[in-house]
Amino acid sequence: MAVAEIAPPRARRRAPLNWTPYLLVLPTMAYLGLFFVYPMVQAIGLSLTEPQTGTFTLSHFQRMSGDLYFRQAIRYSLLITALAVPLQVILALAIAMLVNTRFHGHSLLLYVAAIPLAISDLAAGLIWLSIFTERGYLNAFLGAAGLTAQPITFLTYEHPEWLVGAIVLTEVWRATAIVMIILVAGLQLIPKDYVETAQVFGAGRWQTLRHVLLPLLRPSLQTALIIRTILAFQLFGTVIILAGRLVPVLAGESYFWYTLYRSPNVASAYATLILALSAVITWAYLRLLRVKEAEVRA
Amino acid sequence: MIRWRLVAVLLGLVLVVTVGPTQSAPAVEITFTSNQFTPVEEAAWARNTLLARFTQETGIGVRFVTEAEGPYVDRLLAEARAGRGTIDVTGTLHGLFPELVAQNVIRDMASTQQQLVGRRDRTFYRDLVEVSKMGGIQAFVPWMQATYVIVAHRQAMRYFPAGRNPNLMTYEDLLEWGENIRQATGQRRLGFPAGPGGLYHRFLHGFAYPSFTGSQVKGFKSPEAVEMWRYLRRLWGVSHPSSFTYQSMHEPLLLGEVWVGWDHVARVTPALRERPNDFVAFPSPAGPKGRSFLVVVVGLAIPRTAPNPDAAARLIEYLTRPATQVLTLQGVGFFPVSPQAGNVVPTGGLRVIADAVNAQGDAPDARTALLPIGLGARTGEFAPIYSDAFRAIAIEGRRIEDVLAAQARRLEELFRAQNAPCAPPDPPIRPCRPD
Repeated sequence: MAVAEIAPPRARRRAPLNWTPYLLVLPTMAYLGLFFVYPMVQAIGLSLTEPQTGTFTLSHFQRMSGDLYFRQAIRYSLLITALAVPLQVILALAIAMLVNTRFHGHSLLLYVAAIPLAISDLAAGLIWLSIFTERGYLNAFLGAAGLTAQPITFLTYEHPEWLVGAIVLTEVWRATAIVMIILVAGLQLIPKDYVETAQVFGAGRWQTLRHVLLPLLRPSLQTALIIRTILAFQLFGTVIILAGRLVPVLAGESYFWYTLYRSPNVASAYATLILALSAVITWAYLRLLRVKEAEVRA
Repeated sequence: MIRWRLVAVLLGLVLVVTVGPTQSAPAVEITFTSNQFTPVEEAAWARNTLLARFTQETGIGVRFVTEAEGPYVDRLLAEARAGRGTIDVTGTLHGLFPELVAQNVIRDMASTQQQLVGRRDRTFYRDLVEVSKMGGIQAFVPWMQATYVIVAHRQAMRYFPAGRNPNLMTYEDLLEWGENIRQATGQRRLGFPAGPGGLYHRFLHGFAYPSFTGSQVKGFKSPEAVEMWRYLRRLWGVSHPSSFTYQSMHEPLLLGEVWVGWDHVARVTPALRERPNDFVAFPSPAGPKGRSFLVVVVGLAIPRTAPNPDAAARLIEYLTRPATQVLTLQGVGFFPVSPQAGNVVPTGGLRVIADAVNAQGDAPDARTALLPIGLGARTGEFAPIYSDAFRAIAIEGRRIEDVLAAQARRLEELFRAQNAPCAPPDPPIRPCRPD
């Protein structure tokens, strides 16, 4: 053994290249290349070229930014993301901590809380539409309880804040589960010793959470935040069902520019904008929540 | 024992996988695309009733693909450009055909039309055959036609303006009707399909505009148009605020959320079929310049790249047969294109709709509007100019004159860029432009 360690000439010689890892990632790369990179390049190309001549143009971006819905789409996309994502993380963290105490029946809670994972955004939108619509469950309940004489119209252009509220509620209901799953996995990776040590040194629950668990959860939080924020920019089905086009969002506008106005170029301009926004936000998360080597090892 | 059971199960599976499909699948399968019948109920009816009967009769299977306008047109154009296709028959609005003709996507349907007429069991309404001719060819065989009407709950009739005839309804009557309902019940019960996928934009450019200004495009920012938008603001004040989520009116009508709704006949038919005795139907209202309504003509064509043109022609023969036309009317509320089927009086809820459609066409002040043709690849940009104006004026409360001036510039640019003529009731000036 010792001989091997003190045999530097052999180690310096070029080792034969190990192809196994490259072969293993090849299918993934091929898949990503075919279904993500290629369409992405094509979409960027469409957004920057004239359909007839193929020359470079910024006119599609100009048409996009000059559109009636453009500013509102940006505003509402950011607003819904800013409201829904923190709520999802806080709620998911609470459920994950609860599950992680491993009380009797915790796995049942885990499964029940994860049910919305299996529901598409369109279906989730329909479920909440059947609750909020004028002849929906909420009005039926309020009427039966004698709280209201006439059904209330919740989903109305006269109260855009109610519309946004309904969308955020649906999103929180639908997408908290994925954050929770990531956080539960993250929490289970943290050895119990850290928490016990903190308690030995007299840390309270809040202090343990703030100084021990949250820093150690940072990689999981990072993943969850990136996934949720990017998906929030792609939000579409729930909004269309609950608010029509009264609450325009970026992904929805991209869809309308293709199916309604039949302009693949402006639709691609929207897609490129979503891509750029997602890239910037991912980069910001990676920087802000950067896990310093020293912190994890400490 | 277990092993035998396993073998039996495996054998069964093999039988199901290999024998099953070969026995049930028809020898020939053709592909039929359309941007009509997009609501799920209509698509299901087309597959399970309309086309299933064709397969039963001929042994030719039909793969029916219904899509929104964007992907629908793109697929046709892509197949034409590739010079190789999978679509055998396509059925769409007459307003989309000029682009298909210009891009050389479809065959001349004149010989198919002649063969059909030669069968002597059908003729076609002459004006429909007229509009099918463009660019020197016959672009399509007329398939179905439709329009838009008002459907109301019987209980709403007691709030209809006293002494007025609902079959000769004016826009003022409609507003007063909604106002009466609101005063009596505290609820806004008028409804319009102003949601995504709804057809409210047709109400704006094909009904309200020509009825108030006598034109779709020329009078876009005229004083009469300003007056119309003031009216629409008031009408929106008595309309159900959830209208912006409605794709079609039959659901809110059945739920009772809406008592008086305006929509495409095919999109109110399900309500009348379900509860024929609860609803009544009336023509669209009249304005100062008459009772304008859109006539929707849907035609069938065979792409140049169709792999099975003969089977495609058989499907077209089946779809335009008078008996099939009556079946289509009863099923989804699209009206026949041949007098032989048009003379058949429908029953039940369809009768209510058919009477309203006839009253609309026979009204002394009736004026027909048509979808603009000749906008080519930019056809999809026409209607949103109207719905954007509606949003800016009625929802965001912007100044009417400013919005109309800005949207008129878009209209002018669109028609100039495509050198497209005005559609009726405007005179056929090319390019069409707002005054």
